[in-house]
Amino acid sequence: MVRAAIAAALLLPFPLVVAVAQGQPPPAAPPSGYVGSNACKTCHADVWLNFYKNPHFKSVASGKEPPERTGCEGCHGPGQAHIAAGGGKATIPRAFSLLSPKQALEACLTCHERNFDKANIQRSEHTQHDVACTSCHSIHHAATPQRLLAKKQNELCYSCHSGIRGQFEMPSKHRVNEGFMQCSDCHNPHGSFAATWGMGQRSHLVEQALDNESPCLKCHVDKRGPFVYEHPSVAVEGCPMCHNPHGSMNAKLLKRPVVFTLCLECHNAGGSGTRNLGVDLQSARHNLLDPKFQKCTTCHVRIHGSNADQYFLR
Amino acid sequence: MSKLLLPIFAVAGTLAAQQVVAPTPDTVGSPRGDGWGGYNVTQSFETGYRFHLVGGDMGEYRSDANYGNGLRLLGSSFAMNSKDGHGRWFDQITLNTSGLGNDPYQSAILHVEKNGLYRYDMSWRLSDYFNPGLTVAGGEHLADTSRRLQDHDLTLLPQSHVRFHLGYSRNTEDGPALSTAQEFNLSGSAYPIFTNVRRQWNEYRVGAEAHFAGFQFTVERRWDFFKDDTPATADGVIAAGTLTDQTVLQQFNRSQPVHGSSPGWLGNLHTRRKRWGLNARLTYVMGRNDFALSESALGVDQFGSPANRQIVVGGDASRPDLAGDLSLSYFPTDRLTIVNNTSISNNRIDGASTYSELLTGSNLGTTIYFRYLGIRTITNSTDVNYRAADWIGFYGGYHYADRRVDTVEGFTLPAFANSTENNVYEVGNQLQSGLAGVRVRPWKPFTINFDYEVGRTNHPLTTVSDKNFQTLGGRAQYRVRKVQLSASYRESYDFQPAFSLFSSHSRGYSANASWAPRDWFSIDASYNKQHLDSSSFLAFFAGLSRSTLQAKYRSIYISNVHAANLGVRFAIRRRADLYLGYSITKDTGDGRATAVPAGTTDPIQALLDSVQTFPLTYQSPLARLSIRISPKVRWNAGYQYYGYGEAFGVLGYYQNFHAHTGYTSVLWSF
Repeated sequence: MVRAAIAAALLLPFPLVVAVAQGQPPPAAPPSGYVGSNACKTCHADVWLNFYKNPHFKSVASGKEPPERTGCEGCHGPGQAHIAAGGGKATIPRAFSLLSPKQALEACLTCHERNFDKANIQRSEHTQHDVACTSCHSIHHAATPQRLLAKKQNELCYSCHSGIRGQFEMPSKHRVNEGFMQCSDCHNPHGSFAATWGMGQRSHLVEQALDNESPCLKCHVDKRGPFVYEHPSVAVEGCPMCHNPHGSMNAKLLKRPVVFTLCLECHNAGGSGTRNLGVDLQSARHNLLDPKFQKCTTCHVRIHGSNADQYFLR
Repeated sequence: MSKLLLPIFAVAGTLAAQQVVAPTPDTVGSPRGDGWGGYNVTQSFETGYRFHLVGGDMGEYRSDANYGNGLRLLGSSFAMNSKDGHGRWFDQITLNTSGLGNDPYQSAILHVEKNGLYRYDMSWRLSDYFNPGLTVAGGEHLADTSRRLQDHDLTLLPQSHVRFHLGYSRNTEDGPALSTAQEFNLSGSAYPIFTNVRRQWNEYRVGAEAHFAGFQFTVERRWDFFKDDTPATADGVIAAGTLTDQTVLQQFNRSQPVHGSSPGWLGNLHTRRKRWGLNARLTYVMGRNDFALSESALGVDQFGSPANRQIVVGGDASRPDLAGDLSLSYFPTDRLTIVNNTSISNNRIDGASTYSELLTGSNLGTTIYFRYLGIRTITNSTDVNYRAADWIGFYGGYHYADRRVDTVEGFTLPAFANSTENNVYEVGNQLQSGLAGVRVRPWKPFTINFDYEVGRTNHPLTTVSDKNFQTLGGRAQYRVRKVQLSASYRESYDFQPAFSLFSSHSRGYSANASWAPRDWFSIDASYNKQHLDSSSFLAFFAGLSRSTLQAKYRSIYISNVHAANLGVRFAIRRRADLYLGYSITKDTGDGRATAVPAGTTDPIQALLDSVQTFPLTYQSPLARLSIRISPKVRWNAGYQYYGYGEAFGVLGYYQNFHAHTGYTSVLWSF
């Protein structure tokens, strides 16, 4: 009984919140020039035929949205002049092929600005390079039912980022072409907050994990720590210190074919580092001509961080 | 709109990355479906058999491709859409799968939505990971694990002014693996040990978004829990078997559970007005790990004496991480956008561990270690984007970052008073960089971008961190109805004048061409070249008779990767589709004929020479035929070859392989 009372107390406010949240102001009188989607489908039957599968159909189905946010005219603007002229692109208030990238962005943001994942779109590198919404999304001829992408995601990204495409075809790579991963697992194409684990702070559209971490840690959770003995370069500069995140000709996405050169480039007594005048120099016991000392991670197995050994031995 | 977009999509339709041979991307017929109640239902299933035949290094094949034999549900899709948007329980269900049945990469994506009431997204993915025990780790770090990822997100009232989010994610990794352990002597050999990987991560999320007076407020609370319960044991007696190292590991056991959590908060406020916008974020994550380690080893030490060792470690580590961002956007005119962003991040990692060791009867005592690593970063950036005219625009920015890294290292020996020592290191560095760029569209189908960035850092953390760097890049693209051409160039240079004289130069060139003259024929080709050279002075110990400090040698790495793609698609009388593809990735290194140039007599230089460049060819031609049997059925067959060839090998070991893979399947759509 007590449980039922608690459950009721917890659940009762929900319908109230639903009612309040769904409550819209009463629709004002239709602004001039809006004719409704039914008028559009007379000529554009091919577009309308499958439009019920389109996420934008919600605006039609809801019946609560004002005309300027409903159906065809929600995106393209009032259609009265277009009908009166008997068609023609120039008479469509928002014909996206005639809009500048900024105008197209503004048109889409009219509704989509509320989405948290687009909060940084004004400072994104895509916006900076005039890559507008319609460069990647196809509202009426989408290849993917979700997100309305013009093409399968990785192929869409490769169409501009061909250098990255080459990296994903290297022998050691993240499985994007194989369909296990997508670019958006690590990147937010609409812009992201600046990365805070590195110095440069250029965002590169990186989508952070746990709100503020390198996206690598979304999957490689065992590398997240915290560890008693952190590898400072990993904690401060991030995974790209040693790995090429997209793909590499070397094993394990490493930047070098063997580990010891990778390690020695930092552990060479140079630079400022956490040891003031240099990170740890390699031990005098380690004769590099002995093959066992050429494979650093054979002994330093916990190279990403350890709880038990300051030299990452266990 | 359609006149512009259609050509783009027609061309985009020909752009295809080098695919894996299956599942078949072709579909049967035009949009289809059956009516059921007030819904339209479409489905497709592709079921078939995969095969593979591998010669050479099977481990490297499994690391790079990993496709096996057997029956598969190569791909499937299911969609159910309400025709009027007023379904009783849902308005849309979509389910897409790939690789189910035993492919190394499998996924299932589900979306269920009821307009205005809820939206549910689920993804499940599996990846079979194989690490063949590469020579870079002595050939002893083998792993044959499976990683499973799943994400569930439920949004309530998705079209309302107040939205609620619930989420759950899970990530598990399990399977057998080999690692290594070094026992008894610090300079002794390391021995392979068996580990049964068992890692698990669970995350729960709850949050809400509210839209009020033009402001969007988001708050999210998340809890995540991680545990690693991977045990390690030695399987049988293992001996080094060298004259200088008589170590024998007869028994070994290690248990080192780690359990942790990282609960966090996120708050965000953003708005966009006619002339300005604001975006503010605050996150706080409190990471914590508790751990224990118990290890025992029995055997013979490096010098032939009986030895045993017990190690017990326990402790915890915590990491509060606070980050804040404030982004202000100004739109003084329709052509000008100015964005200023300030970010602050404060990350403090505190750890303590109690380490006790018994070595061959000697109690080495207990040491309590403390570690602290603090990273505080403040950045400010201003970016300007000016659209001078429809055909030309300029952008630029100034970025400043100030970072402080503090390290505190200390230990205590409880048996001895006043034995505490502390070493405190700190380094602060500032980065300043400037960016300028221009984009030009001289006529509609042709765009050009060009940008340049230069940056300076005063005290980089490591010798390979950015110091004096510059990047220069450009891209030109031409898009018309049937042709798409693009070319790009980007170079990135970095130089550190102090100590190691580290320098790095990377240059990337790319060219793409796509041509779709007919609906039954298209061709797509691309070429990329990535050049990288880096150089750094090293300091290490080495010597034939006696190990001495060496400081005159340099680490040099030179890579010239050429990557090319070609894909051709023919459709024969709308009855059959033939796709022929070829991709090759070839690192030509620096052009040398042998790993160690002739005449090198210094053994240290010979070792460094042998790893300066790593010529390698990885290629994969494929062919796929898809024949329409009936309006709802297709028969498909494909073949893909993988060839991996190292010119020099890694430290003298070659991992070359060639593999023939293929499949045949039936695709049924209705």
